[in-house]
Amino acid sequence: MISRVADHCFWLGRYLERAESTARVLGVTRNLALDAGLNPRHVWLPVIIVAGEEHRFQARLGAGAADDGERVQEYLTWEDDNPCSIQRSLAAARDNARSIREVVSLETWEALNALYLWAGSPRARAEWRDDRHSFYRRIRTSAQSLQGIVRGTMLHDDALHFIFLGVLLERAGQTARILDVHHHAFRAIGAHDVIETALWLALLRACSGFEPFMKLHRGRVSPDVVARFLVFEPLFPRSVRFSLRAAAARLELIRPPADAELPGRETYERLRGLAMWVGSRQKDFDTAGLHEVLTHVVDETSEIAGVMGRELLGDAGAVATQAQAQ
Amino acid sequence: MPTSSSLFADYRTLPGTWDELFTEKGAPRPAFRKAIDAIGARSGAEFATCQALAERALLNQGVTFSVYTDQRGTEKIFPFCLVPRMISGEDWAHLERGLAQRVTALERFLDDIYGEQLIFRDRAVPADLVLASKNWFPQLRGVRPHGGVRIHIAGIDLVRGPDGVFRVLEDNLRTPSGVSYVLENRIISKRVLPECVDAARVQPVDLYPSRLADALRSVSPVDPSETNAVVLTPGPYNSAYFEHSFLARTMGLELVQAADLFVERDQVHCRTTRGPRRVHVIYRRTDETFLDPEVFRPESLLGVPGIMRAWAKGNVTLANAPGNGVADDKAVYPFVPDIVRYYLGEEPLLEQLPTWVCARDEDRAFVLEHLPELVVKAVDEAGGYGMLMGPQASAAEIEEFRRRVAAEPRKYIAQRRLELSTCPTWVESRGRPEARRVDLRPYVLNGRDGPWVLPGGLTRVALVEGSYVVNSSQGGGSKDTWVLKPEAR
Repeated sequence: MISRVADHCFWLGRYLERAESTARVLGVTRNLALDAGLNPRHVWLPVIIVAGEEHRFQARLGAGAADDGERVQEYLTWEDDNPCSIQRSLAAARDNARSIREVVSLETWEALNALYLWAGSPRARAEWRDDRHSFYRRIRTSAQSLQGIVRGTMLHDDALHFIFLGVLLERAGQTARILDVHHHAFRAIGAHDVIETALWLALLRACSGFEPFMKLHRGRVSPDVVARFLVFEPLFPRSVRFSLRAAAARLELIRPPADAELPGRETYERLRGLAMWVGSRQKDFDTAGLHEVLTHVVDETSEIAGVMGRELLGDAGAVATQAQAQ
Repeated sequence: MPTSSSLFADYRTLPGTWDELFTEKGAPRPAFRKAIDAIGARSGAEFATCQALAERALLNQGVTFSVYTDQRGTEKIFPFCLVPRMISGEDWAHLERGLAQRVTALERFLDDIYGEQLIFRDRAVPADLVLASKNWFPQLRGVRPHGGVRIHIAGIDLVRGPDGVFRVLEDNLRTPSGVSYVLENRIISKRVLPECVDAARVQPVDLYPSRLADALRSVSPVDPSETNAVVLTPGPYNSAYFEHSFLARTMGLELVQAADLFVERDQVHCRTTRGPRRVHVIYRRTDETFLDPEVFRPESLLGVPGIMRAWAKGNVTLANAPGNGVADDKAVYPFVPDIVRYYLGEEPLLEQLPTWVCARDEDRAFVLEHLPELVVKAVDEAGGYGMLMGPQASAAEIEEFRRRVAAEPRKYIAQRRLELSTCPTWVESRGRPEARRVDLRPYVLNGRDGPWVLPGGLTRVALVEGSYVVNSSQGGGSKDTWVLKPEAR
């Protein structure tokens, strides 16, 4: 497929996943702040850090603003100057789709366009104000439905593979960041056991992993087991390892590894290498080494996106403009 | 006899103006009786609900055009009126023949003037006038496009006067736009007024994309089944981007931008995730002067260097062919009936508007004397710009045009203002349909097998009361155009 079109597909997937992830994290954090009786700063600052927006946020709103959950939510939901805000992510996903309307299915386009129009409407603002829970849920389920629509209405060819490649790489990076930042924050809080359990449960919810975790582990919540679950669990679709392996599998469909002549060799080797590396860390895993593993995942996924841009997406051309990669 | 229906109960036609759906006495035209009864069965309030439904559907489907002047590329929906414009099977049969004839003649004309120029030798049209056109490209003379077709897609603008006769207002032979609205409007009509579409026995329009794809492949440099055809767009910020992507999607072709293409050994290729792929046919929706910086605008960064060489060698088909603008030049328009007679030896089936050519002394003298009665048009402007509407103009505007016409006569033509026909059009603020002026753009496709006319077209409507300007840039909207199946005999 045309490189520029592949680029739009990839970023469509990434932004869609990012909007969903941000909505999920905000919704869960809000719940946690209500439950745990913690200092609001301990709850909300990590959310800003996960988004990679610490500097811009503090520069704009002052160092104290992270004490205020409303301002954090406002910034991550609506802020025009924040490339990771839900509204900006949806606009970017929709812009990418609009540039390749002949590629995405009509159903995909209509659903995404309707979501974008809704998010920009006074109705969305009112819902955010009056029923925050519904607002976040709507973003989350709409984004998830959209992935289902893509799967159910488009040819399963390269366009779809590139969309999911974007989704999966974004997801691997998001899970890694959410886990890393919260793990660090939980330790800093030094809370007693009940609170700590509440925090880890919230973390699972932030990754849509609460019920899957409970099914596999029958309610035994400990930091070590939760961290292992989010990094390694081969059956959980948002674990880092699952996302990376699925991304590598998509890339194999786009570029069969047997055909060495095709562009994309380095992308493939690094992506597959990363997936295997993460798998290899499971054996002697302990939470003390968690930060190191997750940092490598975050850095390497971002590097891989760059290599892919050069090898497959025609980044040398006129379209290397989507510099909002985290 | 007034109609019994509630929606059109108070509908009034304009005196001295043809109405598409109703007679002067306010009765539905017999051919449309069933359809009008079906639509009119709604009350004003019910129709308002339908109209709102239609507008929301268009916005959600992203059937929009971008506004040029806005840096961020704001999108708007092309205003749509749900009351359809109808054309009887009989009227359509005549238009179909006339349009095919006109396009065939213009095709021959282009081939001749970019070739031997016999028409000038025989003095059937004045050479100086044609060759002075800004859209005449002498550097293309001698190139005969692969497949022998130059006008793959034509949009011929028609208007209807008080006598009910359709006349050609303008030919669009370069990159005529609007067909996507024809198809989208029909989808909306079928969704919102299903029983009316059924009652009217409307001819379908949704076969257009596959006919277009066939026509494009039929003139490919390689076997049609091996052909890689693409649609070339200037990009998402172009006002007609929606249409470009719509056509690519409905034809199943890839939509490319100039930067996706490159030329090597006089062949065009596309950059893909699996390396370069050869391109055989390009339905270009870019202006020809931005096609190839080697030929047209050396300073331009847009375009695909070398693409014209590939075209001249017959390695790629460009649709429409570069150079067509000379045949739809407003200054050449007055001679189209002569062009039809010269090449086909037939009388033109379609009438057109009597036109004064300001380049000719007699005509110019008449125009300068009668400015307040005339519509003066700049030959190289489109979209309703650069125009004097004499009957509505101020004294200062008239003087301004007097000066312009005298200074650059070649740039202007003049016509009498036509009392464009009207069609009932929903007026939101009054909650009822009123008469508004319309035109019609049918589309003609042309492949190896000759012309084919889409049974339908874009009806543009001047939404502003009393207005004659139907352009979307100036308060115009569109309607679905229902060409009815011929009556069974």
